[in-house]
Amino acid sequence: MVAKGRIVWVSGPAVKADGMSAAKMYETVEVGESKLIGEVIRLTGDVAFIQVYESTSGLKPGEPVVGTGQPLSVLLGPGIIGKIYDGIQRPLDEIASKSGAFISRGVVTTPVDMKKKYNFKPSVKKGDQVGPGSILGTVQETPLLTHSILVPPNYPAGKLTDIAGEGDYDIEHVIATTDKGGEKVSLKMYHKWPVRKPRPYAERYDPTVPLVTGQRVIDTYFPIAKGGTGAIPGGFGTGKTVTLHQIAKWADSKVVVYIGCGERGNEMTEVLVEFPHLIDPRSNRPLMERTVLVANTSNMPVAAREASIYTGATMAEYYRDMGYDVVLVADSTSRWAEALREMSGRLEEMPAEEGYPSYLASRLAEFYERAGRVKALGSPDRAGSVTLIGAVSPSGADFTEPVTTHTMRFIKTFWALDTRLAYSRHYPSINWMLSYSGYLDSVSKWWQENVTGEWYDLRAESYHVLQREDKLKEIVRLLGPEALPDEEKLVLEVARMIKIGILQQNSFDKVDTYCSPQKQVKLVKLMVKFYKEAQKALKAGTSLADIRAMPIIPAMLKAKFEIPEEQLAKLEDLDRQIDDQFRKAAEGAAMTEEAKVVA
Amino acid sequence: MPETVGVEYTKVAEIKGPLMVIDGITKASFDELVEIETVDGERRLGKVLEVGFGKAIVQVFEGTTGLSITGTKAKFLGKTMEMPVSQELLGRVFDGLGRPNDNLPDPIADKFLDVNGEPMNPERREYPTSFIQTGVSVIDGMLTLVRGQKLPIFSGSGMPHNILAAQIARQAAVVGTKEDFAVVFAAIGVQYSEAQYFKRSLEESGALRRSVLFLNLADDPAIERIITPRVALTVAEYLAFDLGMHVLAILTDMTNYAEALREISAAREEVPGRKGYPGYLYTDLANNYERAGRIKGKNGSVTQVPILSMPADDITHPIPDLTGYITEGQIVLGRDLFRKGIYPPVDVLMSLSRLMKDGVGEGKTRSDHMEVGNQMYDCYSRAQEVRALSEIVGRAGLTGVDLKYLDAGDMFEQHFLKQAPDENRALDETLGRAWDVLSSLPEGELTKIKEKHVRQHYKGK
Amino acid sequence: MSSNSAMERTINKVLSQKEAELISKMDAAYQESLNNLTASRGKLEAERTRIIESAKKQAENLKRQIVGSGRLAVRNQELLIIENAVNNAFEEARKKLTASGNKESYRTLMSSIIEGSVSSVGSGQVVIECNKNDYDLVKKIVADLQKKNPNVQAVVSDQPIDVLGGIRVKSADGTMTYDNTLDSRIERLKPLIRKNIAQMLRGET
Repeated sequence: MVAKGRIVWVSGPAVKADGMSAAKMYETVEVGESKLIGEVIRLTGDVAFIQVYESTSGLKPGEPVVGTGQPLSVLLGPGIIGKIYDGIQRPLDEIASKSGAFISRGVVTTPVDMKKKYNFKPSVKKGDQVGPGSILGTVQETPLLTHSILVPPNYPAGKLTDIAGEGDYDIEHVIATTDKGGEKVSLKMYHKWPVRKPRPYAERYDPTVPLVTGQRVIDTYFPIAKGGTGAIPGGFGTGKTVTLHQIAKWADSKVVVYIGCGERGNEMTEVLVEFPHLIDPRSNRPLMERTVLVANTSNMPVAAREASIYTGATMAEYYRDMGYDVVLVADSTSRWAEALREMSGRLEEMPAEEGYPSYLASRLAEFYERAGRVKALGSPDRAGSVTLIGAVSPSGADFTEPVTTHTMRFIKTFWALDTRLAYSRHYPSINWMLSYSGYLDSVSKWWQENVTGEWYDLRAESYHVLQREDKLKEIVRLLGPEALPDEEKLVLEVARMIKIGILQQNSFDKVDTYCSPQKQVKLVKLMVKFYKEAQKALKAGTSLADIRAMPIIPAMLKAKFEIPEEQLAKLEDLDRQIDDQFRKAAEGAAMTEEAKVVA
Repeated sequence: MPETVGVEYTKVAEIKGPLMVIDGITKASFDELVEIETVDGERRLGKVLEVGFGKAIVQVFEGTTGLSITGTKAKFLGKTMEMPVSQELLGRVFDGLGRPNDNLPDPIADKFLDVNGEPMNPERREYPTSFIQTGVSVIDGMLTLVRGQKLPIFSGSGMPHNILAAQIARQAAVVGTKEDFAVVFAAIGVQYSEAQYFKRSLEESGALRRSVLFLNLADDPAIERIITPRVALTVAEYLAFDLGMHVLAILTDMTNYAEALREISAAREEVPGRKGYPGYLYTDLANNYERAGRIKGKNGSVTQVPILSMPADDITHPIPDLTGYITEGQIVLGRDLFRKGIYPPVDVLMSLSRLMKDGVGEGKTRSDHMEVGNQMYDCYSRAQEVRALSEIVGRAGLTGVDLKYLDAGDMFEQHFLKQAPDENRALDETLGRAWDVLSSLPEGELTKIKEKHVRQHYKGK
Repeated sequence: MSSNSAMERTINKVLSQKEAELISKMDAAYQESLNNLTASRGKLEAERTRIIESAKKQAENLKRQIVGSGRLAVRNQELLIIENAVNNAFEEARKKLTASGNKESYRTLMSSIIEGSVSSVGSGQVVIECNKNDYDLVKKIVADLQKKNPNVQAVVSDQPIDVLGGIRVKSADGTMTYDNTLDSRIERLKPLIRKNIAQMLRGET
């Protein structure tokens, strides 16, 4: 029975309707004459409390509310990739074609083109036993992505009584039927899944493979593993969005789901403009062919902001179930938390810290729990992952506020953006003393097998210089750099070089925007080598001024953008130049020593 | 505007703060416009914040002073608040609710637009990339403004934000084009003299007839301020996207706006977020700030320069903080520079233009522009560090390079940053001055600039 | 003697030295004043250009201001004229409306207004107000309405109101009023009609 009631109260995105005793929790309902989409979030007697995903301006008591019998769900099937959706999976291009440049209310759309034909290649045959999650066949969704057609996870296992042959079908076409004890089930190329329910999997694996992002400070110093979780908190202007865009662009995952949750409209536009022209370095195809966008910009209805996170997560899990590595970027979880807070306030719930609801922590935990590297359900065997990266926008850049502190409990990689670094234009402004990664040890094997065994030590040695500099800075602040002995002044110098030459990375420079693991290691190695040589030289009597004046230094600092990936051999040149210049310095030093002796 | 009949109610149950609760309601909708008539026949406007169970909560824009439980009539007008728009708005002055304030009749409307607007579809946005030359070195060189951007000025009491905004309004131009421009100016709770300064400045540049002014002054009703930016931006959107003009919208001072919002929230007894501001302050501000940009296939643009004063110069205060999260950068005025007598006292290290990268470079401005900007930041940031250090250890404790930075910092402020309020510098001059500053540093320090640009422009030894 | 000549030589030497010194000093002073002169001439020149420039700028500003304000004033005058014309048109319309009280079309309009208003106000007793001229007409329409639908509880007030036409419906306790007089309808439509009139005046349609 479908619930049919009428509105009795309206306040912003919150609506109360009576006559709703047949409604279920989290059921989707149509609100008012203009059939706005809403979701039941509380039931008291026959009064349903509904959060409405569209502007409620002009809505009045007495208008009808009709249940749909369905929880808020997304449609999963070919056609999702390359799209930009609003928070409840309505394609923004279709909304635009119906309501123009501004988003009107009550626009009805379908998430994907139901009429488009895909070439389906079956991978099972009649009589095969198939279970939940099994792959029935594939279609080429984009030139970059082969889309597996899955038996929905909630369907019973059974024997295939029919399977379509290779050919072109639209996604409404029944491509397979199964039979289990006389119960016939028809399967199409898509199915629906409720967004608030994580998709099931067979088994969870440990995350051991790093997600290579091409960003030196991330990959080398604070790596994240495929299937892992990370948070990137930072005040405004610290470059959160730029860093997240960089990850979305260059991460070596098969699919990227980017959720713009309560952020700027132009940022989503930027992705839409830029990604079709950016070429994935691994596949040589436009990045848009692996990207899905979910946009609920800061001026779009607040309730849909809450849903957008789940919409994105469900789509990410769907591609994971095909056996792909998926990165889900949520910018920003703080806006999602604020949406929770706003609805909670309208529900008149007892607030916890800073007005946030007491269940904020558990909601965050549930969200980050949807990350993971898993064995998918059904046959054939395959592993996929969802890596979750959430931006946090702490008010006043204060990391002790509730969203940041709760998030830190559930993530393993923490990239702390630093306002002071950003003010001095050190980008990405990831503070190397406050950030951490819980995957350092688990991914070192991958580096050893795929790049070099030296990675772990080089990282440690260069990081040690940064740590020492951090301590020395205190003294410098009080006494000035000249008060330090030369050996310590050298630490400051090398730390400066590491900061400029390694940690800082210009996203807008054609060469510097992406740095391969090979180049990363080589650059770090140059720094470490320089440091060691300089230490030796100092002991042997070379003056610090001579070391500082070495022409190799600016060359090392500019190597990140002057030497492109295809000319990495030039880095060996720099290596040799370090040797040469220190040799010359040593000769010079010996001569001055001699001169002293003679005198 | 469909013809609707207003229902009038007289059963006022409660009046508190800016709110009025009306009983016996049978027909009212959320967000509906309400016309209130006092016992003396005075008319005020309000809107429905909440409706249900026979009750409506109405927010009264002009305040509830003088309203009484008996004898007050509230007429529900069956529509949301609208602004009449047409080309003839140009050259007109309105009050904070969009009613004429210049002894001229109501504008004859081409159409009536809901002042709340609708969210622009990101899919239909045109990404902003055209460089606006403001003639202000620090902005053009390091904080480039582009058409369709929202770039606020964060200021403090007594600082010359209005002079800077007026200078931008006078000088802003896209080099090499002669397109229709317009200025929409919204005064939100500012003093008469400030609004007057702005008006005079527009008058002197002959731009007044291409401007629309909305004035809610310090002694005007506070709650009206909720509407002022909305009517102003509604007009801006109309001029930009219906008439194809390039609109510069200046909103000053958004702090007063946020305070009006807090007042309403307190009267509704809502659970407050930080510093007593409502939890939805972010969303509410965004609903205003996001009304900037360009649209695919349309000529015009809305460029927004909101101005806000930071209470106690504190950038972490919720109003500048949340604004910074929404806008595409910020221009921060610094008290120290102001005290030193430097105009414009822009604290570049705290300032930022997010869209600069897309508005400058080869084919748009100059190929070295972005790198020079970055190096100038680096230079000034080092200079500031060294300055702080030299105050402790003296010049003697500094290395040779540090001393160079110290001098470069002074040169930055005196030669590059400082300029007269009526001085309009072309971009080449701005970049030339930047290279003058950078050339006072050893060449090896220019780590952010490509070799070829150093060779081309570096003037030092 | 020799000592004398030696002394003389010394004196001469000193003198010539002093002389050279003096000359060089004079030279320097001369050079300096020359420099000063050129410099101040430069400064003067610069000052002069500055003054001229700023005067030019001011003149330019003034010109722009005068031209701008002038155009604006003309435009504003035009707005006032149009407004006047629009108001006259409205007055005419009002007069015509008053005269139309007995036409058949007015009766049909009234009966639809009354029916709509009564159902809008909802259940319960309502009071209907109208002007003196319409009193009988309204009474008749209400009676007809009650014949059709006995649930309608409406009383026609015998206190006439001063309006052009149409009715005003009130709930019995007076807390709710539904204003459907012609006067208020004209008020509501005025912004829309003004555009049409203005267009006609400007010859746009």
